[in-house]
Amino acid sequence: MNGIVSFFSGPAYIALYTYREGIRKKVLIGFLVLSLLVIFGSSFISSFLDPSSETDIDLKLIKDICVTAISIFGVLITIYISASVVPGEVESKVIYTILSKPVRRIQYLLGKFLGAQMIIIVNLLLMGVLFFMALYLRQGVMPTLLLWSLLLTYFEFLIVSAFTFAFSCAATSPLVPTIGGLFIYITGNLTEYLKDVEHRAGQTGQALDKIIGDIASALHAILPNLQNFSIKMQIINGQPNDPPTDVLIPNLILYGLVYCLAGFACAYLVFWRKEV
Amino acid sequence: MLATFKHLHSLFVMALIVAALAAGAFMNARLRHLRESEAFYRWILAAAVNERLFQEDSARDQDLDLYNRCAAVMETMPGFSGLPAPDDANTGELTALGTIAGNYEQDETIWNFARSAEMEELRQEFLALARERKLRFAQDIQYADAQAGGVNVFNLFFGFRKVAANFVWLEVDRYWHQGNTYRMITLMRTCVALDPQFIDAYLIGAWHLAYNATARMPDTPWPQREWHPRYEKCLGEKERFYYTAVDFLKDGIRKNTRNSKLYFDLGFSLYKQKLEDYPNAVKYLTEAVALPHEQYVPRQLFLCLELNEQYEEALAGWKDYAARFLDNPVVQEVAPRFIARNEGFLLENRAAELRKKARETADSAEAERLNNEADVLWEQARAVWESINDPFGEGRKMRMEALDMRQEGRYLEAIAFLDKARWEASDLFNDFSDLIIEIKQEAEIPLTISEKKAVIRESEVGLCAGMPEAEKEKRLRAAEALDSGL
Amino acid sequence: MSAIIKTQRLNKIYEGALRGQDVHALKDLNLEIPEGQIFGYLGPNGSGKTTTVKMLLGLIFPTSGSIEIMGSKSISSSTIKRNIGYLPEGAYYPDFLQGEEILAYYGRLYGLKGKDLKRRIDETLEMVGMQRARKRLLRGYSKGMRQRIGLAQALISDPSILILDEPTTGLDPIARKEIRDILLRLRTEGKTLLISSHELLEVEMICDRVGILFDGVMQTVGAIDELLIQRDMLIEVDGVTENIVSEVATYGVKLEDRIGTRSKFRMEASSSMYDVFELCKSKSLRILSVTPRRESLEELFVRVIGAAEAARR
Repeated sequence: MNGIVSFFSGPAYIALYTYREGIRKKVLIGFLVLSLLVIFGSSFISSFLDPSSETDIDLKLIKDICVTAISIFGVLITIYISASVVPGEVESKVIYTILSKPVRRIQYLLGKFLGAQMIIIVNLLLMGVLFFMALYLRQGVMPTLLLWSLLLTYFEFLIVSAFTFAFSCAATSPLVPTIGGLFIYITGNLTEYLKDVEHRAGQTGQALDKIIGDIASALHAILPNLQNFSIKMQIINGQPNDPPTDVLIPNLILYGLVYCLAGFACAYLVFWRKEV
Repeated sequence: MLATFKHLHSLFVMALIVAALAAGAFMNARLRHLRESEAFYRWILAAAVNERLFQEDSARDQDLDLYNRCAAVMETMPGFSGLPAPDDANTGELTALGTIAGNYEQDETIWNFARSAEMEELRQEFLALARERKLRFAQDIQYADAQAGGVNVFNLFFGFRKVAANFVWLEVDRYWHQGNTYRMITLMRTCVALDPQFIDAYLIGAWHLAYNATARMPDTPWPQREWHPRYEKCLGEKERFYYTAVDFLKDGIRKNTRNSKLYFDLGFSLYKQKLEDYPNAVKYLTEAVALPHEQYVPRQLFLCLELNEQYEEALAGWKDYAARFLDNPVVQEVAPRFIARNEGFLLENRAAELRKKARETADSAEAERLNNEADVLWEQARAVWESINDPFGEGRKMRMEALDMRQEGRYLEAIAFLDKARWEASDLFNDFSDLIIEIKQEAEIPLTISEKKAVIRESEVGLCAGMPEAEKEKRLRAAEALDSGL
Repeated sequence: MSAIIKTQRLNKIYEGALRGQDVHALKDLNLEIPEGQIFGYLGPNGSGKTTTVKMLLGLIFPTSGSIEIMGSKSISSSTIKRNIGYLPEGAYYPDFLQGEEILAYYGRLYGLKGKDLKRRIDETLEMVGMQRARKRLLRGYSKGMRQRIGLAQALISDPSILILDEPTTGLDPIARKEIRDILLRLRTEGKTLLISSHELLEVEMICDRVGILFDGVMQTVGAIDELLIQRDMLIEVDGVTENIVSEVATYGVKLEDRIGTRSKFRMEASSSMYDVFELCKSKSLRILSVTPRRESLEELFVRVIGAAEAARR
């Protein structure tokens, strides 16, 4: 028990200071301001609608735009943060002062990853709270379904974050892993097409095409499919007590955690003998 | 030794990665299964709605065939066949699947059915058909879209599609203000194709079509109307808009089977207000009430039940409704009036029935007894109308008086009375006019020209373009029969 | 006197993209640093000093050979690392923090907490003379202040081994003096210091032992008094002629400088004082001064490196 506490206290401090440092980054604040502008801007767009018709269309408009804005800016924040927490310290040589302390590399990585998650969550919450307020002021009802949507959004980010983090551990500057992270996000959203590749490759009957098809099929089985999280858009405008959604949400959370573990293990594999 | 440790450590981490990826692959497969099942589940609900309410069949699509096979599989599954059916459903005509799908509280059952191992084969067939776009009720499955390939990449990203739907709707709104109705319809369809869960688009779209677009349209003369094969009616321009709205809402219902607003608008705004088709209005309003709904929804259902002459149901409904909202002043003010109204109707009807029986019976003593009983009820009905004390009650009272005169054979007096009364009780104008015609026909008094026209109009014997031969023949016969009667 | 840091046949090869681009940064390095001394680790840029230090700290890993610190080979274990303080060269610190916050952060990584931590922060800040700037953000620190706070963070856990990479580079003379004093005080407290530097004057002033590294190979290592013990004799005389110069050369005496009849001769340390006097007497030279001279570290460094470069060619 004591051992566990002391094992996690190091990462906890590293996470805390990573968070404190990260939250001050200008780029982050820029993203945040932009997303807030969009969230508030969506209220103005709805004024283009016929004001006389008493409908909920303006609400839907705000919801859709806000969830999309949170997705886009949130994923940019996620990628940027995950790609820069470790390479940033390698670049500034702060990592020397930390790794020379009695801190194991796994502890360091854990601390950095948790710190990045804290930044991501706080940003997501900030955007979410404003969105929540914007909705509450208009609707007067607690938009509880929104919470589920935000939760799923976070677990989607968690997968992107873990793999970007693994990428960043191999890099020495934040730029390359940032681009890599975007690539991961796009790829993750397109894995559904691999099934199509497999289908088409199977049609020719040539050996090479068959191999391509098999590779596509294997990748489709292994790679995380971020498209699974698209139900976050459905939830906000949907109705409560939808049986498939109730089953999908816990599964998606588990999905996020499993791939997070895979990504983090990759990061450790890269980092544990890395020469800094 | 250190080297061995490094080796083991690397191996361990790699094993961890492999294990995590294997778990990921497992979860991938699981989610894939769930999402396929979800698509299947939504299609089943849509197809069940079609079975229960729309009863549409299209030769081109294979929905019905697949649905029937699903239903057949369900019959064989022990876990599902013995489930309790909802009380008010007419279970006789529906499959077990259709019956269960009729009750939203059993969505869980349908969901378990859709994801069950027994359905694996049919589920795969469903996906294959959906991919080939052979299922009309499953056209919006993003999942199938992605696999069909070549779809707009935007489809896949961030839910841009749904945001785009909002912007398309802003455009629809603009066209509406410009009065560009036809262009508006096209865009509305685009809008719901982008976001099939856009409930308000269906609602407002249908409302625009049925009300605003048709507001200044004149009635189309019969010869210029066209036959609508699905609805089996002759439609003018106005009616075409009504039915476009009906179709639009039905489309919305198929894609959002559990939204009471859509059923309500279909039943109330369209079938009751515009098409005056009360059986259908009752049908859809019943659905709306069966789902989680707003407080005003049942009131419209009871009104439609009354209009559809289902007084017993209306009465029971109002009583239950009044008992449920004891602290709502509006309900407590409105409900007693309608309870009384339906009681009045019931009493009148029962009296009329008894009198009819009395006329038919050969035994004069029995007839005497029945007539006396009827008179008691008749007086009770009059007392009810008295107690309501509003123009409608007054009108009903006058109607009863006229019927009394008719009973006594004072036809001309009754006609004169009604003719005068109908201008006073404007609510019942049509009712009184119909009664005048009825009495005139009973007394063999010739009808006026306008009355004849009214009879013909009501009888739906009009002919229009595109009508099938059999229908045309039938209507010509009916017209001849009617003509000879006049 | 036991070695607290010991390396055996330590090799480091930085692998390039191609085999030909590999860099052999350390070659069979055997290093022994005794406890309680200040060890000056010298060498020109790129000689492998930082590589050695990083390997000692477990930041990079040896290609072959072994490292032993405090008698243990598992140098990345926290029991060993707890006893090492490290001041990296020109390191940046998270500069959104105040001086004392950064000490608190690093102190916590050492497992310090509560009162202990507070006491250590006060002590180290006192030691490096940063008490007044403790509440200021690092962003506003001068270079000297950064170096001091760096030293403070290396000292926070009161380690028995201190590894300092260029501790006085870029500082003004007064700051150098102060840092030097701190280091000497640490030695009196019984700590072992490894100073990697090319500030030879500083090293000469405070180190007990030095090692000179060139091209990944340890050229010379030893106690500074031993290494610089070769003493010359510098004799300044008057009345020198050309004949005498050529004649004395046979005795192993070298002419160092000559202005008119006054000359400076250098004699090897082995030659005896009496011989010198005898020679001067026989040539009737007037002795102006006799100075026994110790070689400076700089001279040693240049000589050693020069020899090594010549050998490489």
